[in-house]
Amino acid sequence: MAFAATLGTIGSLRGTGPRRLSWRFLWITPLVAALTITTVYPGIFLIALALSDSRLGRPFRAFSGLKNLAASLGDPLFLVALARSAGYAVTSSVVQLMLGLAIALLLSSLVKSGRFLMSFILLPLMTPPIMVGIAWKLILAPAGGLLNGILTNLGVTDAPISFLGTAGLSWLSIGVADVWQWTPFIAILCFASIASLPADVFEAAAIDGAGTWQTFRRILLPLLAPQLAAIFLLRLVIAFKIFDLIYVLTFGGPGFHTTTASFHIWRRALEQFDVGRAAAETLIFTLVVGAVTLPVVWLAKRTAAAEAGHA
Amino acid sequence: MSKDKVSDQTTGATRRKVLLGAASAGIGLAASGALPRVSFGDAQKYAGKSLNLLIIQPHVIAGRKLAADFEALTGAKVNVIAVPYDQLLAKATLDVQSGANQYDVIDYWFANVGAIGQDEITLDVTALIERDKAEIQPDDYLGSLYDPYTLYDGKRWGLPYDGDSHVLFFNKEIFDRHGLKAPTTWDEYLQTAKAITEAESKNGIYGAAVLGGKAPIIIGSTYANRLAGFGGSFLTPEGRSALDSAAAVEAAKALKDIVPYALPTPLETRFEEGLPAFLSGKAAIIEFWSDLGVYANDPKSSKIVDKWEVVRNPIGGSNKTPRLALNAGYVFGIASGSKQPDLAWDFIKFATGAKEQTDLLLTTASGIDPSRKSTLYSDAYKKFAPKVQNVLAGALENGLAWPTGPNSPQLQQSLADNLALILSGDKSPEQAIADTHKSWIGIIGA
Repeated sequence: MAFAATLGTIGSLRGTGPRRLSWRFLWITPLVAALTITTVYPGIFLIALALSDSRLGRPFRAFSGLKNLAASLGDPLFLVALARSAGYAVTSSVVQLMLGLAIALLLSSLVKSGRFLMSFILLPLMTPPIMVGIAWKLILAPAGGLLNGILTNLGVTDAPISFLGTAGLSWLSIGVADVWQWTPFIAILCFASIASLPADVFEAAAIDGAGTWQTFRRILLPLLAPQLAAIFLLRLVIAFKIFDLIYVLTFGGPGFHTTTASFHIWRRALEQFDVGRAAAETLIFTLVVGAVTLPVVWLAKRTAAAEAGHA
Repeated sequence: MSKDKVSDQTTGATRRKVLLGAASAGIGLAASGALPRVSFGDAQKYAGKSLNLLIIQPHVIAGRKLAADFEALTGAKVNVIAVPYDQLLAKATLDVQSGANQYDVIDYWFANVGAIGQDEITLDVTALIERDKAEIQPDDYLGSLYDPYTLYDGKRWGLPYDGDSHVLFFNKEIFDRHGLKAPTTWDEYLQTAKAITEAESKNGIYGAAVLGGKAPIIIGSTYANRLAGFGGSFLTPEGRSALDSAAAVEAAKALKDIVPYALPTPLETRFEEGLPAFLSGKAAIIEFWSDLGVYANDPKSSKIVDKWEVVRNPIGGSNKTPRLALNAGYVFGIASGSKQPDLAWDFIKFATGAKEQTDLLLTTASGIDPSRKSTLYSDAYKKFAPKVQNVLAGALENGLAWPTGPNSPQLQQSLADNLALILSGDKSPEQAIADTHKSWIGIIGA
């Protein structure tokens, strides 16, 4: 706000009319340039690829119209992969938000040691995603894996369990690794949001005799709702793009059971070298991500507006 | 960049220059062995220059040795850049397409030669081979390898330097414990693996390690062994899909049948998992690249030194003749974006020459297998890896090649996907092979 005011002041010093207008254009030039480079150009390039017959080694071999888009929309493997991505993104984001909030509340209650512990739980987030995948692959391996070794030694199983080679278990395994990696990120965002809430509201609630559950349900959640919605939105978009764990842990298998849209597009582009079709799939994927995230954006705005109204 | 950027200068092709060059350098490398070595006339002719070699990770040790030897001979520094084996083509293609042009020599999988040639990722070296044939000795390459590895559209795109194929290794100690002998048919293989798994899986020992990871070069190789064993092939002589044969289906059934008795689980087993299992005595049989014969006798990495044997892959169905499948197999090509194609070509001639190839065969963990007759039948190789040499001799000349056309990446992917669906139980072997055949017809054309 202060920056905008400063700009306004500078603008007013440059006079009025067309001259002032040209200065305004000058001020927004960096922004326009940045958006053009980072968004408009890649967007147009992607659309052009989607409308062309393009190989990795030879892009834009011929104009192909809507052929790639039609082929993508008629490909059941891609459509199922899209559905998997959406289902996984929503489920994992909800679970991680709940866990992250719970951890943040716990750490907030620890007052002094909370911040110290927070730096510890951030370790998974700081680990390179590929290393997270490799670590979990070693843990879950059927032959010589840590988890199978423990289960066998305890007599829980008499034969190794194929966590990554069985349809249901492979998703569960990816989910566990994903939770391990990303929940600390959610927790730290929730922790910061809780720390920013006014303490006097909670003191007043305590004086009025509100219990823990009432305080959480009636005060903390409504106050925190805009931030939680924003955190959920952020995590949802990241979860849609899950790739590293799939690549390392299951390579989309067994069969196609863990092939998500992003993994499917990667294979199309960098294993089959059909870049035109991959671009078409990316466009469709973008629309699906937008469609799933729009309600969350709306919810975030609504809760923020409601909170502002209360304030 | 087109091929005419490669200069037509002589690089010391004659035998006389070979001898003179080696003598003047004082290295004596060429003269030291019975096999001819490429020389460059003027020793240290590339001093101060450097060359970027893009190589698959399993070839890193070979790459480092080549780099050291080439630097000693010519003064050129070779930077060895390793990438995962299933990422090399994408990396090389992006390098050329983006104009980054960081690589001079690339190490391509022969099944991709059509894609490489069509997109001109490497330079057409047909004229260079003809010019330098006296030192390259093209006739020395094993006949079944040379054309599939290098030829597309009537032009050659590189020179072979790793003649890969799978053979069947088994743990003799485990076999002796159960009174078993080496399987000669895929049915015997199944029964042998079953007997061992049923008896010893509680101790963590399994009858077979089956490479079933979803990458085409992994699961595709395992299928190719069976396809060759049942007498099938990937394509007809006219280049159409041959997966509508009974052999193709029988091979897929044999793959499915072994799953319950294999190291858990084939879908999760690439060579990174299969190799340690065999070397540690946890898997009794493994179909693997022939250089395993060198790893297996290295006490640093193996617990089964002198406890293993190797035989040709089994046969099945009505086929009575064992046949190796040319699984993997690598070629050095000049990256089309290279700014120093002359240096790159000299390096390739050096690296693929008979003498250096023999040195690589005798280097533990180099990952290099014979691609030349003179190396396969050399006394040094016979002495260093007698069991493996004995199995490869007479068999590599008639190996089953994979499809090599421009659409090969799509064909490989379709096959790998469907084979993985067999292993996961999502498709029957009959359905998976029928679907692959249909997909291949769509890709290749009827």
